[in-house]
Amino acid sequence: MKKTINAMLLLMVMVMMSACSSLGVKPWERGSLSRDDMLMDADALDLAFDEHIYFSKEASSGGQGFAGGGCGCN
Amino acid sequence: MQLKNKKIAGLLSVATCTLLGGNAQAESETWDIDSALLIYNETDRVSAIEPVINAKKDLGDDEILSMKLVLDGLTGASANGAVPSSQPQTFTRPSGKGSYTTQANETPLDDTFHDTRVSYSLNWDKPLDRNNRRNLGFSFSREYDFTSVGANALWSHDMNQKNTTLTGGLSLELDAITPVGDTPQGLTDMDDRIRVSSSEDRTLLDLLFGVTQIIDKNSLFQVNYSLSQANGYMTDPYKIISVVDSSGEPAYYLYEKRPEDRLRQSVYGKYKRQLDNKDIITTSYRFMSDDWGVRSHTLDLTYRVKMENGYFIQPHVRYYQQSAADFYHYFLTDTQAIPEFASADYRLGEMTATTIGVKVGKTLSDKHVWSVRLEMYQQSGDSSPDEAFGQLQNQDLYPDVDAVIAQFNYSFKW
Amino acid sequence: MKKLILLLVLLSSSAQAEIYDINEFSLENYRGKVVYLDFWASWCKPCQKSFPWMNDLKSKFPAEYFDVVTINLDENSQDMHDFLQKVPAEFDIYHDANGQAAQTFKVEGMPMSYLIDRDGKIQSRHIGFYEKKKAELEKEIEGLL
Repeated sequence: MKKTINAMLLLMVMVMMSACSSLGVKPWERGSLSRDDMLMDADALDLAFDEHIYFSKEASSGGQGFAGGGCGCN
Repeated sequence: MQLKNKKIAGLLSVATCTLLGGNAQAESETWDIDSALLIYNETDRVSAIEPVINAKKDLGDDEILSMKLVLDGLTGASANGAVPSSQPQTFTRPSGKGSYTTQANETPLDDTFHDTRVSYSLNWDKPLDRNNRRNLGFSFSREYDFTSVGANALWSHDMNQKNTTLTGGLSLELDAITPVGDTPQGLTDMDDRIRVSSSEDRTLLDLLFGVTQIIDKNSLFQVNYSLSQANGYMTDPYKIISVVDSSGEPAYYLYEKRPEDRLRQSVYGKYKRQLDNKDIITTSYRFMSDDWGVRSHTLDLTYRVKMENGYFIQPHVRYYQQSAADFYHYFLTDTQAIPEFASADYRLGEMTATTIGVKVGKTLSDKHVWSVRLEMYQQSGDSSPDEAFGQLQNQDLYPDVDAVIAQFNYSFKW
Repeated sequence: MKKLILLLVLLSSSAQAEIYDINEFSLENYRGKVVYLDFWASWCKPCQKSFPWMNDLKSKFPAEYFDVVTINLDENSQDMHDFLQKVPAEFDIYHDANGQAAQTFKVEGMPMSYLIDRDGKIQSRHIGFYEKKKAELEKEIEGLL
């Protein structure tokens, strides 16, 4: 398990390093990216509901945000 | 000629704005309100109704304050952890007052659940300079037998002409649990009603590191790593586990007991792309692993189709798979030694879950949007595990959970 | 009747947005004036917030010595026109769909503005629009006049 995590972390760092140098757009080319529905946290209320539902039904939580422990729910 | 037309368009726009009095200045005076109502309904089990309101205001120069209020009304029955039997089973209610009986060959459900949760949170997002932002959050949540307070801080740093954003954050949460009928001693006989305290607590510390990278004009991805450490009382005080005899019939019931530490790690990736026809595809994957032995994979996919007149339709699919916690048992036997930890809570068992849903919405005018979401959730595990014997072989030891989720959203400026 | 009202409004409005193609853009056209040159796009929220201020700026200083000139960077000109329907502009706008002027001026953020003196030299550059920096900018313009 540790190995898997380490490998994933390494992959993440590598992707990040290579990404930084070659990817991206000019400041004036962000028309599409700045649309509300292209934001990473678009549909924020849906995401919050889902997080709450799945937190109370499954053994995992968090990922995009903090995992939390936010309810004593069943 | 075209240029002349453009000039006229420009003149016309000045004219219309003059006529309408131009309300652009008033923009920052308004609140962005997102409201929603969630209705969650499990077949024969829990149902919940949950209204939410989130109010957001730009305090100027992109400094954003937001407040959220969530109410949550819960009723219905929940599996208490015991296995079904060929005989009716009677359980003492958690309060110690009275009992409930489950019919032969049925999954024991505790029907005492009804709870109201109120939760508030406050977020303050402030740019420190052109490339740095800091977000502070506070949360408070209260229900009948549970109180939680939390604070978090997130820092984000833009690099590479804002094409790369690094995020780092920390969250601390303190929970207090005051079980109905006090806290039972873990792994003791339910009928002995041994109580250890009237309240318990736990702390949760989360760390989050992430990178968001813009790929091109139409796509971006995000990768997060998070580490979560929980200490304290993590047992469910209402859950029990059956101890069965040689014929597989329940002999007695023990209160469950979980470890007092849990370390979770997860890696999360999300990718978003706008296609040439303006449809948007969003996919995410999460791998989670903890020292309770749970490992999970979550895949999520939405596809947003843009239609005429501001309408959109957005199908959604989610797939989840988890392995069981090391101390998860469908049941214990009366010949085995009682383990250090044991739980028969289905949420810690091996399972897969799928969600399919669709959301339909319409943008009415500037920032006024309504939408409706309908989803179906189904959870299933191994109903007839190899360890089942005697009468247990005739029982469903991991019943499916089926739920319907309906949600209404309305966002507006106020 | 409606047409008549519209005509009256058109005639009476003191300043008007003129939209040109970027190929017509040259700082030479403004030689002898201090110019506040601003790069913007319809999707950029702080850009929108800067519009009322840029309108004020234009009327604040004498037209013989000062001008506000903006370059719109929307890929699709319809987005620019839709925006201008909602947000009034009383200054010249050049539409630069391919970002050629943005390249030349090395635009680093949105919006981005340049203060240009009477000789056509760039005196200062400003990334972003901040309410709290407005007074400072106005002072700088006064200094150049």
